[in-house]
Amino acid sequence: MARYIGKEMSRVDGVAKVTGRAKYAAEFRAPNLAYGFIVLGTMAKGRIREIDTREAERAPGVVRVFTHLNAPKLGPKASTEYAPPRNTREQDKSFRALQSDRIYFNMQPVALVVAETYEQARYAARLVRVSYDTERHTTDTEAVRGSARAPSQGSPPKPRGNPEAAMKAAPVRVEAEYRIPVEHHNSMEPHAAVAAWEGDKLTIFDKTQDVYGVRAHLATSFGVPEENVQVVSPYVGGAFGASLRPNYYPALTAMAARELKRPIKVVYTRTQMFTGHGYRPYTIQKIALGAEASGKLTAMIHQAVHNTSAFEEFNDNTTGFTRQVYACPNLLAPTMIVATDLPTPTWMRAPGAVSGMFALECAMDELAYALKIDPLELRLINYAETDPESGRPWSSKALRECYRLGAEKFGWKDRKFEPRSMRDGRLLVGWGTATGVWGAFQRPAIARITLRPDGTAHVTSATSDIGPGTYTVMTMIAAEYLGLEIERVKFELGDTKFPRAPAQGGSQTTSSVGSAVHGAALAVGAKLLTLANQDASSPLKGATASDVEMLDGRLRLKSDPSKSVSVAGVMRLNNLSEVTETFESRPSPERQKYATMAHGAQFVEVKVDPDIGHVRVTRAIEVTACGKIINPKASHSQEIGGVVWGIGMALQEATEIDHRYGRIMNPNLQHYHVPVNADVHEVETLFVEEDDKVVNPLGVKGMGELGMVGIPAAIANAVFHATGKRVRELPITPDKLL
Amino acid sequence: MRAYLPDYNLRAPRSLADALDLMAREPGVWRAFAGGTDLMVLLEFGALQHKNFLSIRHLPELRGIEITPEHVTLGALTTYTHIQRDADVRREFPLLGAAGRETGGIAIQNRGTLGGNVVNASPAADSPPALLVYDAQLELVSASGARWIDYRNFHTGYKQMDMRPDELLRRIRLPRATGDLKTYYRKVGTRKAQAISKICFAAGARLASDGRIKDARLGLGSVAPTVLRCARTEDVLRDRTPDEATIKAACAMLVEEIAPIDDMRSTAQYRARVAANLLADFLVNLKK
Ligand SMILES: Cc1cc2nc3c(=O)[nH]c(=O)nc-3n(C[C@H](O)[C@H](O)[C@H](O)COP(=O)(O)OP(=O)(O)OC[C@H]3O[C@@H](n4cnc5c(N)ncnc54)[C@H](O)[C@@H]3O)c2cc1C
Repeated sequence: MARYIGKEMSRVDGVAKVTGRAKYAAEFRAPNLAYGFIVLGTMAKGRIREIDTREAERAPGVVRVFTHLNAPKLGPKASTEYAPPRNTREQDKSFRALQSDRIYFNMQPVALVVAETYEQARYAARLVRVSYDTERHTTDTEAVRGSARAPSQGSPPKPRGNPEAAMKAAPVRVEAEYRIPVEHHNSMEPHAAVAAWEGDKLTIFDKTQDVYGVRAHLATSFGVPEENVQVVSPYVGGAFGASLRPNYYPALTAMAARELKRPIKVVYTRTQMFTGHGYRPYTIQKIALGAEASGKLTAMIHQAVHNTSAFEEFNDNTTGFTRQVYACPNLLAPTMIVATDLPTPTWMRAPGAVSGMFALECAMDELAYALKIDPLELRLINYAETDPESGRPWSSKALRECYRLGAEKFGWKDRKFEPRSMRDGRLLVGWGTATGVWGAFQRPAIARITLRPDGTAHVTSATSDIGPGTYTVMTMIAAEYLGLEIERVKFELGDTKFPRAPAQGGSQTTSSVGSAVHGAALAVGAKLLTLANQDASSPLKGATASDVEMLDGRLRLKSDPSKSVSVAGVMRLNNLSEVTETFESRPSPERQKYATMAHGAQFVEVKVDPDIGHVRVTRAIEVTACGKIINPKASHSQEIGGVVWGIGMALQEATEIDHRYGRIMNPNLQHYHVPVNADVHEVETLFVEEDDKVVNPLGVKGMGELGMVGIPAAIANAVFHATGKRVRELPITPDKLL
Repeated sequence: MRAYLPDYNLRAPRSLADALDLMAREPGVWRAFAGGTDLMVLLEFGALQHKNFLSIRHLPELRGIEITPEHVTLGALTTYTHIQRDADVRREFPLLGAAGRETGGIAIQNRGTLGGNVVNASPAADSPPALLVYDAQLELVSASGARWIDYRNFHTGYKQMDMRPDELLRRIRLPRATGDLKTYYRKVGTRKAQAISKICFAAGARLASDGRIKDARLGLGSVAPTVLRCARTEDVLRDRTPDEATIKAACAMLVEEIAPIDDMRSTAQYRARVAANLLADFLVNLKK
């Protein structure tokens, strides 16, 4: 019987976090630590003509000022830096600081001032004088969208059927363009690193979602074997994709530490975070949908263009999921990229999906109005019973049940179809819906379990916990399958001394690392069974590993629990002080026969004040089907967070760029708005559990990102329903509604 | 980037007299530092040009709320929290209570002062529109004495005001007898809290027994280089019933009277339309 899986569990690391015992990257100390402060450039493209560091060098406490003139060149980059949700290995062309006089983007680091104290470094950073030879820059994606091209990595997706002809022939058509601005992750914790060398061995405390990725990056940068680099990242205060790839600061920090032969700490300021890592790209999407009068889709053409940097390709795969949402025989869905003089974008929570589904799900709403069919009904008419892309069956798909349950809870049947037809006093009321999708990804991962005779277990895997509750869920899984009380299990992560795990991204950690922990626990049981059965009198004689389970210190037959042995007893008899098993889980070949995805349905009510154009999301019901829910408490928290982020994306978030200078105008939380508590009203999240043993042994799918995918579209659709105004450009700020 | 702290001086004078004495001897050198909630933001961005400050937070002469039959007088150091905790002030001056509730978050409400809000002279500040509606008066003090001025004449241009470098704002006085004033307050931002106003609208009016508007007062923020008392629009409203024609005429005048701009927070067009919409909403609800 399950004792933990499926039950509400508070965070095992909660007390450490609220009491300050949990240490984040910037909090680590080292003897003789010096502090680095980054100096940012002030123009968008060109070369550094001159850089005068003399005054800064004379300032109190300054140890050295690094610039491209005196910083050592880093080694060639690894090509291993890939991250979910796609597994393409791409030659790393990421930006590295102080490697040349070239300026690629505004607010690019041009110097690192190292001093005895943080304040001294920060002060001296102001004294560095830089002059530039400027070149014409382009930061406006709109201005260069004409030169968009297909990404060079991977082969462009083939059209399905004959989309153009089918579109022409479609009795009903809608076509529109949608826009999403640059957005930044803005995790609460600033990115930071503390680096210390001992000879050619490096230890670095870093804020990262991928300790092994940072290790490979630093090993190649400094030409040392990977084993010489230890990356430690036990706690991460939010990252959302901004720490999937190594950013420029870990190598910069380690470089300074190596040159100065003393430990160095570098912490981004909030402003530096806006160019110190990637962002959600500026995305323009053109969608045309063709349908029969019955509502059946006959053609979909979804073309996305988003920006990347001038030196590196990033592909958000904006249109990727469009291919798998609705049954439609004719489809074209390319994503194109265009270079701008900005930093390289990166994955940001629900990358590609939330952007693509914003456009697709708004277009579906527009089609519903063109057809005069209820928007939910239209989705049911085009329900994909099998994967439209591959033709394979779904490993599981309870989306229909999500629609049904959500509609019932929300009271969707009372919706009046016409826009501007519902009121609450002076306020215009709108109800909108949208579908959410995400993958059920799994990647190879390794976990190690050490079980001791005293009934405690130590479990490790070098994954990360950027907030979803990985510490807790892994502890639960281990406790469940080792049959131990949860307090007796200690799980550790975020350190390259632990077995390899993939980056925490793409909502694949529970599926990947959870499967490894599960496998390692079973391996411990199997080992104990072998040991027990060396004894001729073992009551488990003849049993195989799958016949037994562990509970409360005993290994017992599942079919007859009275037949059991004491785990401690087996260890004692075999003179063992512990049993350690390492297990690598891999996606099963069985998965190839199916399409594996997670789904959700969102229902949103908005109230719009017609005098000021202000939108309030007064009610949101989100129903998701993402396999088995292991920890409902953390899972609801993930989905609620997704809804709140969706509200921010729909109504508030935008990184504003002054294109004259190619400069971000709001690199701070005063002007980059995310929702406050007062913006968030009723949010209800529900799960329709799926029993899916194809995806992985635990039956879990991706869910952390799924929670936000349909929300911006549902809100935009609700705003249309309330006001009759179709805003196709996020965020939907009040001025767009008046 | 944050400014270099050793460049700055902060002194804590023993008394108001000491503070004023210093300011008289070195005019323009010393400026007040009250809650610091405006000043610290500038410091953090490296944009605090003035270097020498006098901490005034501990000076009793600038604190407290005094109620006489004619006036309620608020010390310049009155915080938003003080206002919300004072039931009399809240009841008699609901616009001030509303502004206080919607200013910043709890920490800012505890620390930020009314005096700082006034002298910081931001056109987007949220209490000044309320103070304008209540015909507030300011007491400015210096080593050479004290003077009272009408708040509506205080701001003379963007960040310009009728205050000498040797003066401190000591108190803010509000005439009482606001009981039958019907009031209306709306702060409009991109989100419900912690957002600098796109527009801030405070209004008050009395209706005579014949249904005519006797006394109309409109105070607006974020629509001009200073917060603005809209006297010409008030003239349009005076002695007229708030019917459709009046509303139309008043809204037209208001749009003419204000001078909003495009900025990162909003557009001029949006501000003009919302100002008119809120005025109409206020007037329509007057009769109710
Ligand atoms: C996060 C945050 C949110 C905010 N939200 C809002 C908001 O919603 N609405 C709003 O209106 N404001 C807001 N503010 C701005 C600020 O909090 C207010 O303007 C506050 O009232 C300033 O008061 P203070 O005492 O902190 O001023 P200080 O920062 O101490 O001073 C401001 C200016 O006034 C001068 N000064 C202060 N007191 C006197 C005096 N007695 N005599 C002469 N000069 C004086 C100072 O020299 C300085 O120039 C916010 C600020 C922050 C940081």
